Amino acid sequence: MRLGALFLLGSLFAATASADDRPPTFAIRPFFLFAEQSFAAVDTFDATFGHSYGPFFGGGGQVVIHDRFVVEVSASRFQKDGQRAFLSNGVSYPLGIPLTATITPIEVTGGYRFRLSSRVRPYVAAGVGTWSYKETSSFADPDDNVDTRHAGWVVNGGAEFRLHKWVGLAVDAEYSHVPGILGQGGISQQAGESDLGGVAGRVKVIIGR
Amino acid sequence: MNGIRLRVGTVVVLAGALAIGLRGQTADESRFAIVQNLGLPAIDEGVVVDSTHRPGAEVELRRAAIRASVARSAGNGGGSRYVPGRVIVKFKDTASEGARASAMSSVSRTAVMGARPNYADFDIVRIDPAEDPEAAALALGQRPEVLYAQAAYRIHSLFKPNDPMYAEYQWNLPLINMERAWDIQPLAGSSITVAVVDTGLAYQNATITANIPAFRDDEGTLYPALGNVTIPYAAAPQLVGAGNAGRIVAPHDFIWDSTTPLDFDGHGTHVSGTVGQLTNDGIGTAGVAFNVKLMPVKVIESTWDYLFGAPHEGDDSDLALGIRYAADNGAKIINMSIGRTGAAGSAPVVESAMRYAVGKGVFIAVAAGNGYEDGNPVEVIAEIASRLPGAVSVAAVDPAKAHAYYSTSGSYVELSAPGGSERGFDRYGFVWQQTFDYRFTETYLNPPDSYTAPRFDVLAYVGYIGTSMATPHVSGVAAMLMQQGITNPAAIEDALEKGAIDLGTPGRDDLFGFGLIDARAALRGLGLAR
Repeated sequence: MRLGALFLLGSLFAATASADDRPPTFAIRPFFLFAEQSFAAVDTFDATFGHSYGPFFGGGGQVVIHDRFVVEVSASRFQKDGQRAFLSNGVSYPLGIPLTATITPIEVTGGYRFRLSSRVRPYVAAGVGTWSYKETSSFADPDDNVDTRHAGWVVNGGAEFRLHKWVGLAVDAEYSHVPGILGQGGISQQAGESDLGGVAGRVKVIIGR
Repeated sequence: MNGIRLRVGTVVVLAGALAIGLRGQTADESRFAIVQNLGLPAIDEGVVVDSTHRPGAEVELRRAAIRASVARSAGNGGGSRYVPGRVIVKFKDTASEGARASAMSSVSRTAVMGARPNYADFDIVRIDPAEDPEAAALALGQRPEVLYAQAAYRIHSLFKPNDPMYAEYQWNLPLINMERAWDIQPLAGSSITVAVVDTGLAYQNATITANIPAFRDDEGTLYPALGNVTIPYAAAPQLVGAGNAGRIVAPHDFIWDSTTPLDFDGHGTHVSGTVGQLTNDGIGTAGVAFNVKLMPVKVIESTWDYLFGAPHEGDDSDLALGIRYAADNGAKIINMSIGRTGAAGSAPVVESAMRYAVGKGVFIAVAAGNGYEDGNPVEVIAEIASRLPGAVSVAAVDPAKAHAYYSTSGSYVELSAPGGSERGFDRYGFVWQQTFDYRFTETYLNPPDSYTAPRFDVLAYVGYIGTSMATPHVSGVAAMLMQQGITNPAAIEDALEKGAIDLGTPGRDDLFGFGLIDARAALRGLGLAR
């Protein structure tokens, strides 16, 4: 609630500070986020879900200074139902036991925006995050389920397109590396995969100038 | 009461047999016949406290001695490791008839090619029984026309028996986490056929007529001929009762060359019970995969098979035929609670058959042997399993998950399962299932003056001990894994080994292999991170 009010105030401030068409010197901008991630742990996700990609939905906020420097905080969520499996000699055998995995990353990045034209701002950014991972399945003991969190890092690059004075659309690609969650057990250990990250194509709808 | 039932049952069976005339499958019509589906249901003796079916037990040793003695009486070289007069040979496909004849004559002037048995990809060469078949096989194996040759080594069961009931007696099933495995898969293998390659199975009522000759036991005592006798035979109610006769698939007998593999020993019936005893019916004991279909394949000759005049003795060739038959007739799991000792690699005919079966998608579980306190000899069949992904050798643990005192150790041990032990556990250390009440079947253990014809219609819950008892636990769980979706035999082995509870030295070791099977862990498989 407080965060939402802050974004709203920031947007108003930005608008006030730049009543003309020039970009504001300081802007706080909320955004909605959609990402489709291709997971690095291909065999692990394939065995469980039948494929190794999936959507994240979320949002966040940006602080843009002098139209060049940006600091961004985002939170998103991936949740998918699959089934437990066994992996042997590279072949997966689905066992029909329902499983739900939930990934919730919170990322903080800092980046630089290039002034390509008045309506397009290419950018690059890098940062760190914390990834929450929960895994539940049928016939589980409490110890069988997973609820853990681990740090990782990200880099991304893309461009922001101004669709309207108050609405922007950012499209980028992000690479994330998240060790410490996969690879300790389960299919990921059998597959020798230890990275919960991957490459994501992201779309952000940005509110504000 | 039971005595009255026994007498009444005998009279009715005899009358029935005489009334319709005796028809049935035989090898020697004048000496032995089975009239199928004629007979009364089994008499249930309940729990029989029997501590004799365990490795090293005095009575167990006497059983083996009498069996060997009976075979010698029959001139079959009982007691020797191989069947005299037979060499198993696999010629190269490119070898001409002339080359084959030349090869045979080069090793023995008496060598004659026998008719190739059904389900065989090998031949049996007959030689003079006085000749050494091992030497003949060695010479033949060195011929360029020959892929392999071996003597016809005898195989035998690897069990040891005693009594019943899940809550009180069946420590073995909770030990491998079966209750929670059944939660995951309540069907318990209903679509899978498990072949129990063993002494046969008590799967139908029948009436048997036989002419039983005299024999001498291991001490030279003469047991008189019993002459023509009629013997009642009953199906085990807890395997095929209550409308479950349809679970028996393609039975076959390689000892009698028939399709009626009746168990005259009790071992095969007990082993089958651990695989798939009817469960959750409020009666007796439970089995691991209690809905599986069972394929009894008889390849072991019991003492009574000898005395009834069976044409085959149960050697490597019979085992190989049994394995191939099971693979060709729909079995997805083969349980082999059997074995023999010898040099590793000395059973190429069995190895070839096992590779054939696994190649057809069949998982095989083999008993690792009961010889730990008897010099710990190499178990030839189990050793093959260790080299074959999709086949496993199974050692035994006691109720405390400790190494069972008899369970053979070696680099070829891959998994462990409950085989039981009476040491420190008494009757609560046995593996219990329904099988024949040995007091009515093993009458040759009595003195000659009380030696009578057996009856195979008195069943009871009897405890056995041995790696023979451990092996069907693995077969049952493997059947459930296959039903759960792991269809590749090598992957089943992988799942069992990765899901096993590591015992003894961390990692694989020679006593426990990869550890004690955990049915729940194997069936539940893996998530992404755990």
